[in-house]
Amino acid sequence: MFGGNTKKVKIDADLFDRVRKVADVAGYATTEEFIVHVLEKEMLHFEDAGSDDDIRERLKGLGYIS
Amino acid sequence: MLKALKKMFAADRGEAIVVVSGLPRSGTSMMMRMLEAGGVAILSDGEREADVDNPKGYYELERIKNLEKETDKSYLQEGRGKAVKAISFLIKDLPDDNDYKVIFMRRDLDEVLASQQKMIDRLDQGDTEAEKEAMREAFRNDIVRTRLLCKGRDNTDLIEVHYKATVEDPAATASTVNRFLGGHLDEAKMREAVEASLYRNRAS
Repeated sequence: MFGGNTKKVKIDADLFDRVRKVADVAGYATTEEFIVHVLEKEMLHFEDAGSDDDIRERLKGLGYIS
Repeated sequence: MLKALKKMFAADRGEAIVVVSGLPRSGTSMMMRMLEAGGVAILSDGEREADVDNPKGYYELERIKNLEKETDKSYLQEGRGKAVKAISFLIKDLPDDNDYKVIFMRRDLDEVLASQQKMIDRLDQGDTEAEKEAMREAFRNDIVRTRLLCKGRDNTDLIEVHYKATVEDPAATASTVNRFLGGHLDEAKMREAVEASLYRNRAS
């Protein structure tokens, strides 16, 4: 599934089992596909501030942004 | 190292703008008071008046609140060599044509949220538990995002200052901040500017 370079990451075996079970139930082709999907989704929180409407609304309410 | 080299070859942009940043209620106004006392000129319009949440004043520049939407940000050049307050959410919108020295205020997230909650309650906009948890997560992300952003920008240096540590040992913070800004500030006056009595929103 990975077209380019890949890196290995070690994760706790018990956590991996839990992840694998969820990936199966959720219908992902592989556990790796599920992990990549989750990580990419989480990375957006850190890389794309514009998507954070919760913060924007809070800051407007408190008078810190217009 | 690479950052320093790039700065050497950058166009002359004058003195850096000192940006006091952090989440709302993380001690940014306290740091502004310290800087002012220490001899740093402040870029502020005084439009937002002191109130029960910030009895010594907000030290804000009203226009910067619109930084996310505004296209002409040249007014910020007036802040070169001065200190301006900008919450962490707005760091991403600082224009590239200035250098920045960011003093990033950190405070226990529970204390930040408790302090914000008091403001919200006064505004009659109480949060549900789910909303509180969502905000905790959103602010945690905001902190990480800001740190990543500052580290990745050639024109930005960042120092983190902890609110509690500053209240407990203002002399140490005054010394650290003074070193970060070049060593020309009056540390004794910075120290005196910290009023421990303001440390009232501590979450129990």
